[in-house]
Amino acid sequence: MLTKKEVEKIAGLARLELAEKEKEKFAEDLSSVIGYVQKLSEVNVEKVEPMAGGTNLKSVVRKDDETKCISDPEMRKQILSAAPDREGDYFKVPSILE
Amino acid sequence: MNLKELTIKKAHELLKKREASSVELVEAHFDEIKKRDGDICAFLSLAEKEATEAAKKVDGRIAKGEPIELLAGIPAAIKDNILIRGAKATAASKILENYIAPYDATVIKKLKEEEAVFLGKTNMDEFAMGSSTENSAFGPTKNPIDLERVPGGSSGGSAAAVKAGFCVYALGSDTGGSIRQPAGFCGVVGFKPTYGAVSRHGLMAMASSLDQIGPIAKNVDDAAAVFEAIRGADALDSTSVDMEWQDYWNEPVDIEEIKIGVPREYFIHGLNPEIEKNIKFAIRALEKEGAKIVEISLPYSEWALATYYIIMPAEVSANLARFDGIKYGHSAIDKEEKLQNLLKVYNKSRGESFGAEARRRIMLGTYILSAGYYDAYYSRAQKVRRLIKQDFDRAFKEVDAIITPTSPTTAFKFGEKMQDPLSMYLADIYTVSINLAGIPAISIPVKEVNNLPVGLQLIGNNFDDIKLLKIAKVVEILNKQNL
Repeated sequence: MLTKKEVEKIAGLARLELAEKEKEKFAEDLSSVIGYVQKLSEVNVEKVEPMAGGTNLKSVVRKDDETKCISDPEMRKQILSAAPDREGDYFKVPSILE
Repeated sequence: MNLKELTIKKAHELLKKREASSVELVEAHFDEIKKRDGDICAFLSLAEKEATEAAKKVDGRIAKGEPIELLAGIPAAIKDNILIRGAKATAASKILENYIAPYDATVIKKLKEEEAVFLGKTNMDEFAMGSSTENSAFGPTKNPIDLERVPGGSSGGSAAAVKAGFCVYALGSDTGGSIRQPAGFCGVVGFKPTYGAVSRHGLMAMASSLDQIGPIAKNVDDAAAVFEAIRGADALDSTSVDMEWQDYWNEPVDIEEIKIGVPREYFIHGLNPEIEKNIKFAIRALEKEGAKIVEISLPYSEWALATYYIIMPAEVSANLARFDGIKYGHSAIDKEEKLQNLLKVYNKSRGESFGAEARRRIMLGTYILSAGYYDAYYSRAQKVRRLIKQDFDRAFKEVDAIITPTSPTTAFKFGEKMQDPLSMYLADIYTVSINLAGIPAISIPVKEVNNLPVGLQLIGNNFDDIKLLKIAKVVEILNKQNL
């Protein structure tokens, strides 16, 4: 069973502010799922290669050419205007240092 | 015009013979939506003006005697996690409540090339996380068959819209059953293509190694028609695959040449015995037609759901990290306050606008991937995923397709599983292994139980999508004969 403190730690890593009264319910829910997925410890996975993706995956590369930039001015405008705060064509970010 | 029975083929005929115009089709569907969607809530937003404009264009071409594509002028609904340029795309989340898509998803671009008409965006579980649409931030969709029951999820709005006759077909997305399970609950056809068959560019990523876009339709032919329009390699999705596809329309499958596997692990406790009876009835019907039926074993099935609930949340926690309150979406940034702290903006923006299930899965994934737990959970799950895939590889050496139920129950009532997330997760027990293996599967309605739809899941081998659809068509025909 996860403690309230562990839930706070996970929420911090996940950058999620939780209300005080939610923490116990989340501890209960997460514990029940984690308890369930521990079922996998029954499986012998010795010498099994991990499977990372869907099907027939091979690495795809493309040239780093500037035409792949957002050349459509209308789209560019829409993307920038979706930002909550900006200065010119830059996203504005609050201070990192206190 | 009976909209509930209106298929792509029929609508296309109406247009070609000029018995109805595309504008008339669009109007008829909006009339129906306005009359009944107040109760069903299949749509999150409608695009009447844009749809009418697109329809007029097609009508103009028909008037000039020009040939039109199969999907031209035919009204469709699109799940709200797929981007249509200029239209709201919320993924049923508060964090994207006011987000306008700046570009078209590749599937939308392809449908636009066919001159398809989009009526609106459909409701879903927030970011496609759930099996009932109860996780939508904007309220649940109701099952058109019985308004007290869920339509399934996460593509519940798309499935309900197709069933209710609000659109001719719809697009959904499927990460662990999100096309097939709601199709099963609503009594329509839902097809998840092979991983890589359809580009996901412009689909909001949930779990990238599992996500796939596919059609929800009124019959197998329509599902095939939509699949043919949206599939294909795309430079903007590096997992999409370039290949030669067979032609669905050339000749039907010779059922006497087909061998179908029935995995014993899927017919166990927890499966509603009435559903089992109806699935077995459909299997017997295939056997009478000459198909060879063999019992098979997929021994690692028992661990599929646990594997899924490690891999999926791990990928969710990474994919949903992009919602940070800085670039787009809901933000706690206060422009006036000069000394606001970045970390607080992250925590507050995310904490106050992700719903409970999204936060649950983000935290689960964060825990699973955190130092000290990675090997025990994530790495082990990737290995079991390989074993699950090998089960299917072995089976498909012997059989052409596999039959299982789509879900262990029929559509459940609202609230029944909301308090206990694990009980909700069990609704996906028969569908998740298909996404883990990357293979295609389709849910086809068979005989109902207590007037509620039952879905039969037909599973195919990688990139055997067309063969799978052809076999599905036989299941569909036999089911109609036996009603």
